[in-house]
Amino acid sequence: MVVHELLAPAGDLERLKVAIMYGADAVYIGGPSLGLRANTSNFTIDEIKEGVAFAHKYNKKVHVTVNISLHNKELEGLLDYLKELEKCKVDAIIVSDPTVMELALNNTNLDVHVSTQASTLNIEAVKFFEKLGVKRIVLGRETTKEEIEEIIKNTNVDIECFIHGAMCAGYSGRCVLSNFLTARDANRGGCSQICRWDFSLLDSSKKELKGEKEFTFCTKDLSMLKYIPDMIDMGISSFKIEGRMRSIYYIATIVGTYRKVIDKYLSDKEHYKYDEKLEKILTNCANRDSIPQFFDGNYDETVQYYNGRVEVSNQDFLGLVIDYRDGMVILEQRNYFKPGDVVQIFGPNMDTINFEIPDIYDEDDNLLDAARHPRQIIKFKLNEKVEPYAMMRIKR
Amino acid sequence: MKLLESLYNIDDINNYADGYIVGVQDLSVNYKNYTLDDLKKIDELCLKNDKELFVSLNKNMHNKDLAFLKEVLLLLDDLHIKGIIYYDIAIVNMHNSLCLKTPLVWGQEHFTTNYQTMNFWYQYGSKYSLVSAEVTLDEIIEISKKAKTELIVPIFGYISMFVSKRHLVKNYLKTFSLADNSDINYMTKEGNVYPIIDNKDGVIVYSSHILNGLRELFVLKNAGISYVYLNSFKIDNMNEIIKLYKEAKEDNCLQLENKINNMLEGNTDKGFLYKETVYKVK
Repeated sequence: MVVHELLAPAGDLERLKVAIMYGADAVYIGGPSLGLRANTSNFTIDEIKEGVAFAHKYNKKVHVTVNISLHNKELEGLLDYLKELEKCKVDAIIVSDPTVMELALNNTNLDVHVSTQASTLNIEAVKFFEKLGVKRIVLGRETTKEEIEEIIKNTNVDIECFIHGAMCAGYSGRCVLSNFLTARDANRGGCSQICRWDFSLLDSSKKELKGEKEFTFCTKDLSMLKYIPDMIDMGISSFKIEGRMRSIYYIATIVGTYRKVIDKYLSDKEHYKYDEKLEKILTNCANRDSIPQFFDGNYDETVQYYNGRVEVSNQDFLGLVIDYRDGMVILEQRNYFKPGDVVQIFGPNMDTINFEIPDIYDEDDNLLDAARHPRQIIKFKLNEKVEPYAMMRIKR
Repeated sequence: MKLLESLYNIDDINNYADGYIVGVQDLSVNYKNYTLDDLKKIDELCLKNDKELFVSLNKNMHNKDLAFLKEVLLLLDDLHIKGIIYYDIAIVNMHNSLCLKTPLVWGQEHFTTNYQTMNFWYQYGSKYSLVSAEVTLDEIIEISKKAKTELIVPIFGYISMFVSKRHLVKNYLKTFSLADNSDINYMTKEGNVYPIIDNKDGVIVYSSHILNGLRELFVLKNAGISYVYLNSFKIDNMNEIIKLYKEAKEDNCLQLENKINNMLEGNTDKGFLYKETVYKVK
């Protein structure tokens, strides 16, 4: 029987815990080296151990990315690093270089997942990796629904697909724009996202072709919320959310929303109905247009994003609940709010609570006219009990 | 050490190159793609002129490509092909299941960056590796000492930087109602001009500068490199350049390299031969 894992990104321990609390079945993280996000916080070995212990306590899994394209010097110490990950009890490694696959399969008990970086798009390529002994393949994001169905039908390895987040403009692994334009190695975790830069486009005689907006490779994001029932019925084993550099609010919102949809469909397929309110929550959180990309076979001009690099920072996230004592919510502030604002608290295993902000106090019980300072501890009265890790956001 | 050139004109087969790399329609990117009939003709001409022929089937393959891919692999096995350059791992699996005798060339352009992974693919029929253009000369030397595969090293020409299934140019033109029938476009940023081609398979973008490593030929030769590869894409005077590469000696290589630089109006560089990329920004 296929288990439909919801797999979330986690850039650090806090995000790992949030992802698990909000319903992820597994998280993927970067270790101290050899992952494709060299410039995010990533985990130390001790943090990996702590993260794995936390996840396993809730019967969840941790996958570690070891998916750079190795140069000679990265071969040194590679096996030791894999054994270190094994000692940390991580459940799987996500890999693109076959040297890492072979070393892990022959010398450790780690499950090996083939990274989307390998751009595996067809039955024959899947069969090769299957024979090698990998447990799972993250398909290239250019695969259509029909192609995924054919692959699942004709092979015997777990298939993972992306369901949400930013997209590469090119085939993964086949873009080294970052190397050439900024000397940062895209396939070793240094991608400087040249696909979001503006360029001038010229014709063959080098005359400018100027539209209302500049030429860019930038595409809309991926969102598969509407297609989750299809993906479940197709037999996809794992649903992956992109974004190890995203905030806890983003992770909580996206993971929580997909969790609801997956559970709702699996609990009663016959009466399942798509909830557009959930789609709106995702849209408000990401601030970018999202579409199913290649899944429905459409990659025409409507998938492009010509609004430049303007991505409005999300101000919806107002605070993280730290505790609830004596009828008072204790909250760590993340964005400005004041008494009278209409807000909601959402969280794992709870119904969303809508309310108007009452009088607010600082840590020393001083009355405040507004919560202005990031990370400031704020207290206010609320009749409903809320749990740590719940979050407060603007009600839209 | 032999000189391989990407063949853009069948009439060039008798030039100074020792061999050629060609693409096949619907299965290749970054090369001139020929029909199967053309391919048979090229094979005959190469045989007649004592030239080596490599065929690049380096597209990202989707399920729909597999039947034609099988047909082409079987055809190539009956020709005199020195090696089949592959990007998609489907080819390795089919090469094994079809028991083909033509050697493979591991050519996953930006992944061919270390000797151990070359040795991995050697176990699966890859007699050669087409080395990434993003490694340094020192890395190439180390690879040459430790890799079991013979090496093909890019030494001249525009370098492919980006391959996409998306029609990025056509999408832009359509969105902003711009008319253009160019077979090649260019994109510019900060004075650099990058060739970009949008065809039925999607988009390819090339480097702004032309790699010219004539001076490094002898370092590579002394390291025992089997082949260097010269990409003739968008180079007008390629036959003359090949001739200069062929005639180069250690005592005149600097002079000949400068001559080529002048022929190309100075739009040349050394790529990553002496420039190490970074990935952790401190």
